[in-house]
Amino acid sequence: MPSRFIDLPQGTLDLLILRTLSLEPLHGWAVSERIQQISSDVLRVQQGSLYPALHRLERRGWIKARWGTSENNRKAKFYELTKAGRRELEIEQDAWQKLTAAVSQILETA
Amino acid sequence: MLLHDLLFRLRSLMRRPAAENELDDELRFHLERQTDKYVRSGMSEPEALRRARLEFGGLDQVKDECREARGVSFVETLMQDLHYTSRTLLHAPAFTACAVLTLALGIGANTAIFSVVNRVLLNPLPYPNPQELLAARQNESLPNLKDMQRQTHSFASSGGVNIAPMDFTGNGEPVRVHAAWVDAGLLVTLGVQPMLGRWISADEDVKGGARNVVLSYPFWRDFLGGDPHVLGRGIRLSDKTYTVIGVMPRNFTLPKELADVFISLWAGYPEAAPERGVHFMHTYWRLKPGVPLGQAQTEIAQADHRLAEEFPDTERERGTVLMPLHEWLVGDVRPALLILFGAVGLVLLIACANFAMLLMARALTRQRELMIRASLGARNGRLIRQRLTESTLLALVGGAAGLMAAKAGTTLLLALKPAELRRLDAIPMDARVFLFVFAISLLTGLLFGLLPAWSASRGDMAEALRENARTTATGVSRSPFRSLLVTAELALALILLAGAGLLIKGFLHLRSVDPGFNPANVITMYLQLPGTRYPQIPLQTNFRRELLARINSFPGVEAAMITDLPLAGNYVDHRVAIDGQPAPAVGAEPEVQTLSVMGNYFGVMQIALRTGRDFSAMDREGEPRVAIVNQAFVQQLLPGQDPIGIRIDWARSNPHEWMTIIGVAGDVKHSGLNQPVDPAVYAPFSQNDEAWRKWMTLVIRTRVPVAGLVEDVKKQVWSLDSQIPVSGIQSMDDLLAVSVAQQRFNVLLLASFAALAVALAGVGIYGMVAYRVNERTHEIGVYIALGAQQRDVLRLVMKDGVKLGLLGIVLGLAGAIALTRAMVSLLFEVNPTDPATLIGVALLLAAVAMLACYIPARRALSIHPMTALRRE
Repeated sequence: MPSRFIDLPQGTLDLLILRTLSLEPLHGWAVSERIQQISSDVLRVQQGSLYPALHRLERRGWIKARWGTSENNRKAKFYELTKAGRRELEIEQDAWQKLTAAVSQILETA
Repeated sequence: MLLHDLLFRLRSLMRRPAAENELDDELRFHLERQTDKYVRSGMSEPEALRRARLEFGGLDQVKDECREARGVSFVETLMQDLHYTSRTLLHAPAFTACAVLTLALGIGANTAIFSVVNRVLLNPLPYPNPQELLAARQNESLPNLKDMQRQTHSFASSGGVNIAPMDFTGNGEPVRVHAAWVDAGLLVTLGVQPMLGRWISADEDVKGGARNVVLSYPFWRDFLGGDPHVLGRGIRLSDKTYTVIGVMPRNFTLPKELADVFISLWAGYPEAAPERGVHFMHTYWRLKPGVPLGQAQTEIAQADHRLAEEFPDTERERGTVLMPLHEWLVGDVRPALLILFGAVGLVLLIACANFAMLLMARALTRQRELMIRASLGARNGRLIRQRLTESTLLALVGGAAGLMAAKAGTTLLLALKPAELRRLDAIPMDARVFLFVFAISLLTGLLFGLLPAWSASRGDMAEALRENARTTATGVSRSPFRSLLVTAELALALILLAGAGLLIKGFLHLRSVDPGFNPANVITMYLQLPGTRYPQIPLQTNFRRELLARINSFPGVEAAMITDLPLAGNYVDHRVAIDGQPAPAVGAEPEVQTLSVMGNYFGVMQIALRTGRDFSAMDREGEPRVAIVNQAFVQQLLPGQDPIGIRIDWARSNPHEWMTIIGVAGDVKHSGLNQPVDPAVYAPFSQNDEAWRKWMTLVIRTRVPVAGLVEDVKKQVWSLDSQIPVSGIQSMDDLLAVSVAQQRFNVLLLASFAALAVALAGVGIYGMVAYRVNERTHEIGVYIALGAQQRDVLRLVMKDGVKLGLLGIVLGLAGAIALTRAMVSLLFEVNPTDPATLIGVALLLAAVAMLACYIPARRALSIHPMTALRRE
């Protein structure tokens, strides 16, 4: 079963978090669930590593946190994208697409 | 962006407890949701919880990483470490006290010496643009100074000063004050303005100029009550009235001289002002901005050359050397201070070595705790960091304690009053000193904490664990690092001991120098006759004769007088002519010290008379002129001749009034115990033909100390003339002690540093052996059980210590031979590699090291085999 999962390449977690949060504010657990769902359970986010990443992004000012009420009526910490975060997401997305395009081109032609 | 980052970190830090709670809540929420999810998919609750936790990873580690991500982790960890460290340190008071005390001694001694270095060597001169200020090494006469000023262009200004005693009267008891006879350029050169009024102007500083005076702040405050309307007031100085025109600022001092009042040389001593040959002013020079010293020196050399050609009879031997003022002022103390600073640095190194060893010993006793923490997942870096926190905290506390020790130390230093520090009334602890303490404490803590922390970090820990588990006695903690420290300590201690030993030997040589007189039970006092009331020699002679007669009538007392005492630093120089010898070229005549005496001077001072006769009451005015010379005079100027009957006179007297040499006195160390004896001529005051010899020093020998003698003498002086101050009251013993105060200061300091070093090194080696005995209790027990003799046991436990000790001593000897050469200027008649001293100190240190090994080793003898085995 573990072979189904692909561990995230270094540095891509930030991009995925930003992308996930670009749709709506979410709490940490929802972010991890969303990433797994959308990637059809291919990508596995080590849950423990999600939180340091969230806090780091918050420090950089790309996301901000506020306490809210979760879908099951519990107090939860919600993260949402800031303006700077949105710009950063565009840059990262762009870079990622360029990278993957270049890599797949090499893989196909070489 | 950066700002956001910073604010975020700061906010996280400020609301740390809240943030901590939030983090807990956030992560707990995650785990709950995840558990929920699994429960809903049909798992049992415990199974779901287990699974959620497993997927999440180490909770504490995640928290740590989150803190790190928020940027509070560094400070936070530091706080935690500090908290933890202070708690554990308080639980180990003996260790803490040892470490703090060791460092306090090392840092305290360093700080005390640094404060002096800071004050004396590093503080800038209290004048604007001090880098432009120069001093001439040679004294100068006023006419020469003026000519040099006219003939050079490198200088913005220059000025000269001579300090002379004057009598301040009209204010109760007459007081002798220090007058600075100056020229108008002096203050301009130093760049200081009077606080009140004005300085002496150039047009007053001429022949017949107004008799004005500028006061020093202390003089104004103490004798004139700080009178704000003092300007224009007249004060009596040496029987003349001077008008006050200014008061200097409170913190103003001349570069080297002490002065109470400032008077133009033309007003204070008009007879000397025009004399080209009277070289008695210190001169100070201010370079024009940007002019290099070399150019100024070249110009001065040209001026010297012109003066020598123009005035060969007085200026033939010119050779003015200018040097930066700061260098001129501290030149004499610098080598001594730097050597002391170096020595005290070595003491600190030894203290640090002990500190490191203490830390290592502590690490080993705590290894179980550390191992457990390591196995619980504490990272290696974190453990090292915690121990660094501990060593740094200890070092900072030690530094604070050292600062207090230094405060006491500098008070002590001042109390010792070495000549060069005598002018310092206080050694302030300024920001630089605090910075110094902080820097060396921090450095000590980090550096000497890092080495043992690193050597005992996890790598060694595993090994230690293994060894500890089954106490096999072989090779436990034979840390090469510890051996290195002990060896280094002993080597450093030996270097210090060698330095101290050499200084002590030199000092003993110095003290055993025969000054040429017997200082015991001799009191001295200085008097000066005011020129106004005693202008002629007969008046002066009458006063002297009457005063001596009165003092000599006291029971049990014998008094005489001389112009200048030995070791007091003054004498009058004259060039001398010898009857019957061809006169040398003008200006090349031999120079001799000339001393006028009255009464039984040689008897009172117990100066040996080598040949001929002493002065008698018959050698007085109107009788043939006589003189007594010293042995150096005979050896240098009359070699191989019988001096008795030879006639001498001051060179270029016209006509000569020859003095016949009637005796030869033993040499007296007039300029200092470590100085060669110059030729000297003693002649009776009563046959003196120089009315300016108005001063005299009474020398009074008593068989037993006489209470009230000084007061009685003063009364006699004032019954003859109530306007004459009596000053310079001191015993010859004191004078002798003061003359070697600088050397004694060096000896005392270096010897106490060496003692400190030896004690610390002894403690170091003791600690090592004691530690090893403790550690090998089991092995020793077995050894004894197997029938080992006491000797064998001692050999076993002392072997390492003694070996390291000897190695350290050998290395130290090599170091000492290399380093003591730097002390050559401080040593008196001792070779810096004096074998006797080096061997002596090596043996002394070896003995200390043996003792330090033996005391803990003896404990090994009392180990009972059974107890040792039971300790398992």
